[in-house]
Amino acid sequence: MSENKQNANVPQPKLRGDMLHEQLVRLGEIEEPKPPVNRKRIAIIWLIVLVIVGGLLVAAQWRIGLIDGYVLQEIDPATQMPDGGFGPYYRLARILLIAFAGIFSIVSVIRLIAPKRRRPNRSIGGDIGIYLGMAVIALAMVFPLVFSIASSLKPLDELFRFPPKIFPQHVTFDNFADLFVTLSQSFVPFSRYLVNTVFITFVGTFGHLVIASMAAFVLAKYDFPGGKTFFSIVVTALMFSGYVTGIPNYVIMSKLHMIDTYWAIILPAFAAPIGLFLMKQFMEGLPTALIEAAHLDGAGEFRIFWSIVMPNVKPAWLTLIIFSVQNLWNTNASTVIYSEAKKTLVYALQQIQAGGIARTGQAAAVTVIVMLVPIMIFILSQSQILETMASSGLKD
Amino acid sequence: MKSTFSKYVDMKRENISYGWSKAKRMKICYLFLLPYALLFCTFFILPILTSIYYSFTYYNILEPAKFIGFQNYVNLFLQDEVFLTAVKNTLVIAVITGPIGYILSFLFAWFINELPKWLRTLAVVVFYAPSIAGNAFYIFSIIFRGDAYGYLNSILLQFGLIDAPILWLTDPNYMLKVIIIVILWMSMGTGFLSFVAGLQGVDRSMYEAGYVDGIRNRWQELYYITLPSMKPMLLFGAVMSITSAFNVCDVPRALAGYPSTDYAARTIVTHLFDYGFSRFEMGYASAIATTLFLLMILCNKAIQSMLRRIGT
Repeated sequence: MSENKQNANVPQPKLRGDMLHEQLVRLGEIEEPKPPVNRKRIAIIWLIVLVIVGGLLVAAQWRIGLIDGYVLQEIDPATQMPDGGFGPYYRLARILLIAFAGIFSIVSVIRLIAPKRRRPNRSIGGDIGIYLGMAVIALAMVFPLVFSIASSLKPLDELFRFPPKIFPQHVTFDNFADLFVTLSQSFVPFSRYLVNTVFITFVGTFGHLVIASMAAFVLAKYDFPGGKTFFSIVVTALMFSGYVTGIPNYVIMSKLHMIDTYWAIILPAFAAPIGLFLMKQFMEGLPTALIEAAHLDGAGEFRIFWSIVMPNVKPAWLTLIIFSVQNLWNTNASTVIYSEAKKTLVYALQQIQAGGIARTGQAAAVTVIVMLVPIMIFILSQSQILETMASSGLKD
Repeated sequence: MKSTFSKYVDMKRENISYGWSKAKRMKICYLFLLPYALLFCTFFILPILTSIYYSFTYYNILEPAKFIGFQNYVNLFLQDEVFLTAVKNTLVIAVITGPIGYILSFLFAWFINELPKWLRTLAVVVFYAPSIAGNAFYIFSIIFRGDAYGYLNSILLQFGLIDAPILWLTDPNYMLKVIIIVILWMSMGTGFLSFVAGLQGVDRSMYEAGYVDGIRNRWQELYYITLPSMKPMLLFGAVMSITSAFNVCDVPRALAGYPSTDYAARTIVTHLFDYGFSRFEMGYASAIATTLFLLMILCNKAIQSMLRRIGT
């Protein structure tokens, strides 16, 4: 009875592998794997244990604090803590209880959120250790993000407080309101900056995606003279420091009459080496048989590229979009664009930030607004990545 | 002797004619490559070549460049003591943060990959946050502040671990360590994201096949199945972590000051920045950039040959 139920939780091996496996077990070559555990049942057991332990803890506190409260309570001279009948072990017991409750609750949470179809080769102890460690590190990683959002919600007097408190005592949206007042007073309308940046980001990212992917496709899937050399030049070019190429770059752009146009930002973004490198690496994993089959069916190169290769490397180009949007959205481009009406949003916002100490609150708001769009794009594309891979089963 | 030589020439000629006919057959490939190649040569190759040329000149941006041969390189290696400090610091930072950051970003991507969907998106956002938040590392100047108000100092003082506040960012003994910690904190960047995307593409049935073939724990699975199928992304991540490990510049400038005490936090790129944009000696700065470039190419070659052996 239970065997059927348990088997539903293990991934069913392919038929041939299954037979081989049985044979090997019979011959004594490998050990029979332990029967898998029923995760849902264990999760419920953990929860019950948690409730009992938590209840005990609360009961103990209640007994110490309330029943013994004013009548029987004695202060332990060593610890200066109420000794609620537990004697000198009171503190130890309390610490242990808290530790147990903590571990139980974390484990049961992990149990509940763990995927229903569990992968083989994963020990429960390892899972707990890894995710606990990751939770601690995640706190450190997210700190500046939380800090800058919290700062933008602080009133001025709290912003200047030293040492700074992490969370605002009185939450306010004044900083954002002030920012919009300042923006509405600028002589180039704010929407103009926004349109500029959106245009640059959109065109730059789209062009980069198409151009770099086309090049990556032929470099990854066809062997033609010069292809390998070209690719290694691209990878090598990634390593040259960007600071010193600024001047030659400016000269080239002015020769091409691109200074003070959007193209000075967009065209170099089209050819960013990182996009080609990323796409090529991902396309290498694509089965060549797929492309050959398409050839046999009479599809042209471009058709193959657009409707066969690209849909199959969706995670790659979504990642590329993240990089490109993040990069272009944050361009300030003050070296190649001079007319005020063509400047980018980040440039305008940085001007406000540079307005000195009176604009501290607005500067905090600016930081959050600049971060917001890349994060949104990021979350959107991340959820897309997960969706694709669930549906595509194509591999050879 | 002569016959081998003529044979070689014949072979070469044959190769070239074969290559040429192949190139003609693969015209469409060049067509696909053309837009990228044109833009890439204009905006990347040409400026890099020009910069390498500038490294052989005296160029102060205002006057035209004067060719001076290897003088910049001679000065760089024989007279510039600060440069040697910078090279030492850069190597220390790169050797520590490069591999650790690389391995950490792979491990985290791998752990995250097994979480359920909504939690995975959240975890990726959290770990990638330092890279999105731009100049968020300025927060570390409050944490590591030299007086008793700095977060770290105040914690250490409260626990009685130190008697007096430590000048984390101005004492040469601590500066480099603090910078390394901050850079490690920022190391979940480009490579991390590409690992996250790459892990999605690893064939699920391979894991099951591996399970049947006797792989018994997650580390064996990592070494025999996951890593070999991730090779292209691993290469990409390696190049990315080399570039970021050697190009450290903003963090030391923001935290340790510019210039830093005793040049203890000077890296090759801050040195380059100093010559290029404070003293306007572009020729000299280009020589520094070219040296760094060669250093990174060497490092890249070494790492690529190492990565080829994984999982075999």
